[in-house]
Amino acid sequence: MNVWFAISSLGLLAVTLWMVLGDFGRPWKRYQAEFRDLERASIVAEMEAERQALNQESLTAVQQELTAERERLDGRRGEIDELESNLESLDRQLFAADAQMRATKSVLDAGKYEYDAALQSGDEGAIENEKARNDGLTEKWIAETRVVEDIQGQIADGQTALEEERAGLTASEGKLADLNSALDGLETRLATVEKSLDYFLVNAPLMDMLAPSLKIEQVMLSGLFHDINFTTIDRVDRCMTCHVAADREGFDGEEWAEPFRSHPRLDLFVSDASPHNYSDFGCTVCHSGLDRATDFVRAGHSPVTEDQKAEWEGEYGWKYEKYLETPIHPTPLSEAGCLSCHADQVWVPRSNVVDRGRKLVTKMGCYGCHNIGYEAYEDLPKVGPDLRKVASKTNAGWAAKWIETPRDFRQTTWMPHFFYQENIAGDQNKAFQRAEIESAVDYLWENSAAATYASVPSGNSGRGEELFNSVGCTGCHVIDAENPREFYFESLERLHGPNLLGVGSKVSAEWLYAWIQDPKQYRPDTAMPNLRLSDQEAADVVAFLMQSRKTDWENLGRESVDAAARGDLIKAYLRTTMTIEQSEARLAEMSDPEQRQYLGRQTIAKYGCAGCHTIGGFEDAKPIGVELTEEAAKPLHLFDFGHSHDVPHTKYDWIRTKLQRPRYWDHGKELVKGYEELYRMPNFGMSRTEADAVTTLLMGFTKESVIEQRKAGDPTTGPALAAGRRLVTRLNCQGCHIIEGDGRRIAEAMADDSNLPPNLASQGARTQADWLFGFLHDPSSVQLRPWLDVRMPTFEFSDENANTMIAYFAALDEATPFASDPPSPSRRNTALGGEIFGMLQCGRCHPAGPEALAALGGGEADLAPSLLLAKDRLRHEWVPEWIKDPQLWVPGTRMPTNFPLQNGELVSPLPMAIDQPTFDDQKSRMMRHFGSEDELKEFLGDVDQVSAVLRDYLWSL
Amino acid sequence: MKHENWRLALPFLAVALIGLVGCGGGGDTDSAPTAPAVATAPALDPSQTGSVSGTITVAGGEDPDSEIQMDADPVCAGLHDGAVHSETHVADDSGNLANVLVAVKGVSGSFGAPGEAATLTQQGCVYVPRVQGVLIGQTLKVINQDPTLHNVHATPSANPEFNQAQPFQGMELERTFDSAEVIPVKCDVHPWMQSYIGVVDNPFFAVTGADGSFSISGVPAGSYTVEAWHESLGTQSGQVTIEAGGSASLDLGFGG
Repeated sequence: MNVWFAISSLGLLAVTLWMVLGDFGRPWKRYQAEFRDLERASIVAEMEAERQALNQESLTAVQQELTAERERLDGRRGEIDELESNLESLDRQLFAADAQMRATKSVLDAGKYEYDAALQSGDEGAIENEKARNDGLTEKWIAETRVVEDIQGQIADGQTALEEERAGLTASEGKLADLNSALDGLETRLATVEKSLDYFLVNAPLMDMLAPSLKIEQVMLSGLFHDINFTTIDRVDRCMTCHVAADREGFDGEEWAEPFRSHPRLDLFVSDASPHNYSDFGCTVCHSGLDRATDFVRAGHSPVTEDQKAEWEGEYGWKYEKYLETPIHPTPLSEAGCLSCHADQVWVPRSNVVDRGRKLVTKMGCYGCHNIGYEAYEDLPKVGPDLRKVASKTNAGWAAKWIETPRDFRQTTWMPHFFYQENIAGDQNKAFQRAEIESAVDYLWENSAAATYASVPSGNSGRGEELFNSVGCTGCHVIDAENPREFYFESLERLHGPNLLGVGSKVSAEWLYAWIQDPKQYRPDTAMPNLRLSDQEAADVVAFLMQSRKTDWENLGRESVDAAARGDLIKAYLRTTMTIEQSEARLAEMSDPEQRQYLGRQTIAKYGCAGCHTIGGFEDAKPIGVELTEEAAKPLHLFDFGHSHDVPHTKYDWIRTKLQRPRYWDHGKELVKGYEELYRMPNFGMSRTEADAVTTLLMGFTKESVIEQRKAGDPTTGPALAAGRRLVTRLNCQGCHIIEGDGRRIAEAMADDSNLPPNLASQGARTQADWLFGFLHDPSSVQLRPWLDVRMPTFEFSDENANTMIAYFAALDEATPFASDPPSPSRRNTALGGEIFGMLQCGRCHPAGPEALAALGGGEADLAPSLLLAKDRLRHEWVPEWIKDPQLWVPGTRMPTNFPLQNGELVSPLPMAIDQPTFDDQKSRMMRHFGSEDELKEFLGDVDQVSAVLRDYLWSL
Repeated sequence: MKHENWRLALPFLAVALIGLVGCGGGGDTDSAPTAPAVATAPALDPSQTGSVSGTITVAGGEDPDSEIQMDADPVCAGLHDGAVHSETHVADDSGNLANVLVAVKGVSGSFGAPGEAATLTQQGCVYVPRVQGVLIGQTLKVINQDPTLHNVHATPSANPEFNQAQPFQGMELERTFDSAEVIPVKCDVHPWMQSYIGVVDNPFFAVTGADGSFSISGVPAGSYTVEAWHESLGTQSGQVTIEAGGSASLDLGFGG
């Protein structure tokens, strides 16, 4: 028994030791200890560099200066000693004199009471007596006060003299401290990372249960939960246990590897001052992963490349954690996490990848087939052209070939390929596809409404080209035969309208002429605006565009259809509601046109054409794809990887493969499934970059349960921003304008940067709501920048949309949509403003009077908006602020500041200039409003007042 | 690990120490990884330096003459008796190209900015000089000598943009730059006015004169890339080895 007891106690001891050592050796402790070493080494190196960089010459110079000063002071020891002893004696004198003065004062105060009492009693003698005594005391007190003040003065003089003697020394000491300050700071830091005896003791095995310095770093995210069926648990992020420097600056050089690197953009993330600070958001809200894991594999790290995967497998025994539903987003997909909170904002400020994904999804029209329950994708117009009058626009032969291979006509098109894809590539399917294509065209032509267009006046294509390149067409259209769509990845706004390559072989000139002049007559909900071209201008542009042709796409005939294949397809559709016999009988009854109509309709329904196109007879069609709102929250086992083992079994690999090869997941099943059962998603010809962007977006579609307080955006301005951004995307405002710091892609197509549409920064703070409302309704009503060839088109804004834009701009600048009442400037201010307007030569760029405006038409006054419009257009509070520092409001503006920045303050050059003989007249006129020249100069030197009277002058025009 | 509350543990440590005496061990702090060394400025010993000179040419030689029309501002037009020509492309018959910024790249070391300011003058509604180099940290002084409004609008990409009006004759402004790049400077009032400030990180640069020649001296001996930048023709570069006390030569040509 004793033996067993001994063995078991030894066993217990061994297990205990094992446990202690196991705990001691946890990987995260190694990381923290290693980081401490690395940081120490880095500080030591930095100190060394600092010592090296410390200019030895200036150090020696300062030290010599210091020594010289000390020597000099030693030489003047006698004088200094005398000064000091003088001060000491003065201090003693002051003490005595002050005490004497205070004593007299208290006697005087008592005397005043006696005098007062005597007055009360009415005793003449006593009054006389007390008065005389009081007068004497007052005199004495004043005399003594003088003595005190005199001694105080002497002390102050003595101290100044002493300070002057020592000034050189103090200055030298200050210089030395400045030179050494960087080193001193580093020394303080070094002390915190030294591995002293304390460090080893507090972190020793068993001792480390008390107060170790190596410990789990965690943040509890109050209000954020994990749903683990039947209950919820708090989120506790422990990532910074290993990622020790994530919240610290300066660990981003090449020498720092993960997990020791600083988080990128600490101004935006992790740091306390950033909008996404660690204590509120932790890490996994954005990055995903297992919040409380302190082990590399369990945390859910996702490799980016095969090499990285192999490296991790060797180093950490890494494998896919298949029971972890939310592994960490691989680095290129990181932005998926933004959508945890930003999904309702339409776009994510300053994101790149996820916002490209959003733009691609809206351009490709994914929402036509898939419901996507976020504001950016709800209730959007169809992405493709309206086909209800298609027969009046193009011809059936072209349409059939287009449906078959759209990218052969135009390599940048968003129209996807439905046919001849990998799962239907077999010969047995060719006849089926031909039957589907031809029948669909037959259906469209049969159901196309008639339309007639006026004939086109003869146009000048050279003039048309000039117009095309200058009035603004290039904000949305390119004519590009060379570049693939990916070329426009960073500037998708340029592909907002179709690439007009080959348009002359596609549409009739008459249709194009009518379309350019009034797009809404053909498609009421089109985003294409009206550029208000005259008949001749429109004819010129048509002449130019019709020159772009693809001759192998002209005069195309229709291809014949295999009747048997068509019959098989029809029977398959019929059999969903009929017996075999009935379906055969029904088919036999159908005439040839009936069969074409029937199959055409079924084909359009099958491929969901009505998701992107308005088609007669499909008014109530429903989206045919799966809903994507919570695509990334779907458990992994619901993703069908088919028979493929070539693609890693992760959600994002599945999605990316699906996007680039939509029929891939039929791999190996083509022979088992019937033709009508195969995947139908069309192929958009996505590049890897495009597919990555869309994958990132889709990986953010989780409906993450982040509580409302943490969600992005201000609840009051949020809806205005979201609605505005939807409209900005829909109308492609950023094709021409810079909005929220991005856009103006038209610049890529324009040689002359003085012909660019304006940057709309600060629009909300700048313009009056009424003016903007009127302008949006009818941009032709105002000649704001008459020198520009590029013009704001007429979008035919509804009142609702115009108000959406006004509220959006106001929300961006946190301005109220409606401005306060305008000021009524005094005549003095107006007059002064006029003089300053002249002195600063504002009129060189701004036409500011009826004559100047009439004289417009080139020349110097063609740089800036007419100021006659200022009082109706601009907000009076904003104008002085704009005058003071225009770059602050609109980066890159041609409007210069008139006030140079000196030591962080705007300084007016006017007081200096007013003395120049050139301005004698102005000076004498302005002096009428001032008492003296100094007053005038003080006024001219006041940047706020000068800006305000300039505004007052503009309001008087 | 941010707060090492080790003092709390001291009483326990004292007890523990009794049992631990002699159980040595501890960190060998000297074995800690070393951080990369930081480069320091070499002393420029005149005997260790050399020079490089040469000529920059352009194929095709002289460009069709382009005269500037200053009628838009009568003040400007009044400042000139004869015609004023654009300096976008200044070359002589033999193709010697002026206004090319030639700079030696990758000279190691750090070079303090000279106390002397570089000057850009607006004179007769033209920026003078058309092209110049300034060192990082060196002051650039911009002066308006004309009795008309100019605005000095610099459009850099790495340095902060600025746009300053100079409505009064004799007005000056001063700027310094922190990043190396060529900064275009224009005047929006007079669209023909253009200048380029090449911000460089070492003092070994020159701008070609009317004969297309340049000469750079005092360069620490070594092999370097020399880059020639022209506002409309882009850049050309060549390799040069400068020996101590020697003078290397390098001619570069633009395609034109």
